[in-house]
Amino acid sequence: MAPKYKFTYFNMRARGEPTRLIFTAAGVEFEDVRIDFEKWKDLKESAPMGQLPMLEVDGVKICQSMSIARFAAKETGLAGKTNLEQAQADMFVDEISELLPKLAGAVFASDEAVKAEKAKEVDKMIPEKLGRLEKLSGANGHLVGDSLLWCDLVVFNVAFNVENYKPGTLKNYPKLTKVMDTVKANKRIADWIAKRPETKF
Amino acid sequence: MAPKYRLIYFNLRARAEPTRLLFAAAGLQYEDVRIRRDTEWPALKPNTPMGQVPVLEVDGVTICQSNAIARYVAKETGLAGKTNLEQAQVDMLVDGMGDLRGKQAAIRKASEDKKDQCKEELAAFAPNFLRRYEELSGPHAGHLVGDSLTWADLEFYDVMAKVLMYLPGILDNLPKLAKVMDTVPANKGVADWLAKRPETPH
Repeated sequence: MAPKYKFTYFNMRARGEPTRLIFTAAGVEFEDVRIDFEKWKDLKESAPMGQLPMLEVDGVKICQSMSIARFAAKETGLAGKTNLEQAQADMFVDEISELLPKLAGAVFASDEAVKAEKAKEVDKMIPEKLGRLEKLSGANGHLVGDSLLWCDLVVFNVAFNVENYKPGTLKNYPKLTKVMDTVKANKRIADWIAKRPETKF
Repeated sequence: MAPKYRLIYFNLRARAEPTRLLFAAAGLQYEDVRIRRDTEWPALKPNTPMGQVPVLEVDGVTICQSNAIARYVAKETGLAGKTNLEQAQVDMLVDGMGDLRGKQAAIRKASEDKKDQCKEELAAFAPNFLRRYEELSGPHAGHLVGDSLTWADLEFYDVMAKVLMYLPGILDNLPKLAKVMDTVPANKGVADWLAKRPETPH
């Protein structure tokens, strides 16, 4: 029988990976559909807002990467125990979200001048964002509360790309480093990271 | 006894207004604190979680990020959506509206010589965006998701009221979306709030 959840994205981590990490951490099966740009041209009109990622469940299509991830988190008990905890998790997700596309811009720019320009913006944004998260983060290996929540996985996903971009960056943020380590130590996540397709971003 | 919720923002609608609309629609009391940017904000800024407003103070916790605040208040007031799936639909529609809000706000923020260009960008962006929203809008007249008022309706009303200033006929052939613009102010709490809320530039 097909899994209840069908997740469609390109063959990259980027905005889609948090949802994959959430289902994986919870041990919940999902269909991990990865399409290329050619296939996307055919599919685009049928996506709710003409974008990916997209999640299909019970005949409904959900788009907007963080709305999908938050839904997956609620379905798997990783959203936060109370409305207030969920709001705190949302806060971290909202704050870090801007960094991912900025980072992608710097990583994928082909023109050297454009790349340098984008790198300047990213280099300014990284300490701003990570500094704010470090200040608010819990000290126990979790951003919020005392157990793994989806915000830990969202931030882990961005920080993973930050470390690829500028290795050693996370050293400056001890509480965030502890969050990264806690996520990496999760057996299901560790297995996933070992076996997931290698992609640039 | 002081209300449980304390919302702090400038004396503007902008990023705090959806949250105020949620409280109003549900008839839930809250402290609507409006601070002065020049005299009060500099002292408050370092004491906020991320150096920004709006913030919401509740049970000794301070929440920031306007959408996180609004979503929390939506859940507290039962206006977030009835199931996880409905809540996801509300979330996705609100997320998408961020683009429309951005294009509209760009006009206001632009220098005089750039304003026309920004208006053209809004005029180019809005029709296709709203066409998709008309398609995504649920089967119950006047509500984007489900069969009763949600945060998505309030957010839509708030941003469209501004977009309609620039593109007055844009909802003419989009009956489901046009109906939302009627349903929202028909809510008594919202109507009262719209009548009494402070006049602000945006």
